[in-house]
This record gives sequence, C-alpha cells and structure tokens, in this order.
Amino acid sequence: MTEGTDLVTVSADESPVGAAGTAPEPLAGATPVVAPEHAHPGPRQYVLIAVVLVILTAVEVATSYLEGSVNANLLIVALGIMAAVKFFLVVAWYMHMKQDSHVFRRLFLTGLILASVVYGILLLFFSSTVLKS
Amino acid sequence: MAQAVVTAGSSELAPDGHADHSHDTNTGVSNPKLAIWLFLSSEALFFGAFISTYFLYRGRDAQFLKGPTPDKLLNIPFTSVTSFVLLMSSLTMVLALAAIQRGDHRRLRIWLLATALFGATFIGGQLYEFTEFYRQGLHLGTNMFGTTFFVLTGLHGAHVTVGIVWLLLVWSRSMQGRLPSEKSEAVEIAGLYWHFVDIVWIFIFTAIYLIPTH
Repeated sequence: MTEGTDLVTVSADESPVGAAGTAPEPLAGATPVVAPEHAHPGPRQYVLIAVVLVILTAVEVATSYLEGSVNANLLIVALGIMAAVKFFLVVAWYMHMKQDSHVFRRLFLTGLILASVVYGILLLFFSSTVLKS
Repeated sequence: MAQAVVTAGSSELAPDGHADHSHDTNTGVSNPKLAIWLFLSSEALFFGAFISTYFLYRGRDAQFLKGPTPDKLLNIPFTSVTSFVLLMSSLTMVLALAAIQRGDHRRLRIWLLATALFGATFIGGQLYEFTEFYRQGLHLGTNMFGTTFFVLTGLHGAHVTVGIVWLLLVWSRSMQGRLPSEKSEAVEIAGLYWHFVDIVWIFIFTAIYLIPTH
C-alpha cells in the first residue's frame, strides 16, 4: 500500500495510455500537483471503519427491537438508511472505491443504479408489503 | 511539447498509487480488476432480483397458513453474531491486502487465514440455522417464506463458500512463495469479491431479520 500521495504526469497532447498503448512515463519538468485524495487509508483507519460498522450493526439490531412501539414505516426507513451507510463505508474504504479508478466506480454504479431502478419499479407495482399501510 | 499534470482523480488512470499506473491496456486500467468490477456489477442485479422477490412475498399471510412463520423461527441474536463475524472478515481481508502491499507476507497469510476462518464460522452458523429451521418444519417448499428465505440465503452462502475456497487458494500460493508483492492485485481482486459478499449480507440481514414482518 502506498501511503501519502502519488503523481502521474503526461504530456498534454498524449492520451493517458499513450499512442502505442503504453503507460505514461513521468516527464521531467512537469509541475507536480498534490492530490491528497489519492492516499490509501492505513490499518488504523481500517480498524476505525470496522468499529463504526460494529456500532451501526448494534444500533440496527437494537432498533429492530423497537417493533410495536415505533411506527413501522419509520423503523424500515431507519434500518434502510443504516444499511446504506454500512454499504457505503465498506465500498468506499475497504473496496477503495474512493481512491480507485473512475472506470471501476462507473461500472459498479451502473449495475447498482440499474438494479435499484428495475427492482424499485417492480416492488412499486407489485408489492404492498414493503412499507406498512 | 506542452505538458500537463494529470492527477488520477481527473483521468481514467488508477489513482490508487500502485499497480494501476502502468497497465498496458486500452482502458489504462487492469483488465482483471475491470473484469471483477464488471462481475460485481452484474452480481448486484443478481442479488437484487432475489432480495426483491423476498420482499414481494414477505408478510403475505395466505401463503403462511402452512408451516412456521418467520417471527417464530428467526433468531436475531444468533444471526447478529454471525453478521458481526462476517463484518470482521472484511476487516481482516483489507488488512491482508495492506500487508502484501507493504511486503509483509507473514501477516498476509495470517489475515487471509483469519478471513477464511471467519467465513467458515459464518457458513457454520448458516448451516446450523438451516438445520434448525428444517427440524421445526420449514422446508424449501413449505411456504413462500421457506422458498424465498432458503433461496436467498442459500445463494449468498454459496458465494461465501466460493470466497473461502478462493482465499485458501491465494493463501496456498503465498505459502509456496508464488505471490510476490508485485502480484498484490491477486489479493485485491479476491478481496473485492469478499467485500461484495459482505455488503450483500448487510442488506439480506436487514431485509430478512431486522425489518418487521407484521
């Protein structure tokens, strides 16, 4: 794992991959730009994320025991939000989507958005059981 | 020749600061990583179908007339523990990747084994749960809950099992000295699959166990 920042430099009239399909070489004289968002998290940050995930899971389980004393729709929305936050934490930090190439992010998001839209429509039209009436 | 600085955040090059800088491919990114992300994208649609089907049939009392209902079967404390174990396996997986990227092969093997062990514990818990449900009269064809529950969690369990085998193969390669730090991408790709299996469980756990049925 590379800690800190990394730089990639290419000439302006070259594609990032290069005409012959070769990877770009850093060019002498290019102005370095610091891109701090490229730094990978370290083990300490991974552990911190795990602690947050465990706390969220505990809150989720505790929330599920509120069934009957809290509005069911509110409970479902709260549980959905917590699951989404856990999903985001794992994808962004453990799967390095925050630091990795935009190509992977777009590819994965395409599948996710497609799944959400298709199955969202399916549930909207054919199910009355997801949210309580 | 005019020059510009391309930061990874503004180009299609991998900005992760390691292997992806120098991929001799049309996209400029690693083909195996592109393939696994494409596969995971399709898996989102795959699991989405089964989670949606579970929601479509949950709580439909007419189909629950025979056989036990979920509120009588589901053991939330037990499944919370196995979910915790699976979450921890994601931590050990990412620690394995961090280890190989800094050249620490001993820790790589320890974390890989720990991840596989956590995965096996999760599968053990799932097998116990399946057996218990079966003993209480819930089979695949008993009612709509039985069908959607066993298919969804069973398919997820099959994915976890594939992940365990994959991790053990990577561990075995490392033990044989055939996994130098330059090939850390092999661990990263196995890790992406493993984390995906974990995030799918996050939603399955919420959908089946936590969201109230009645």
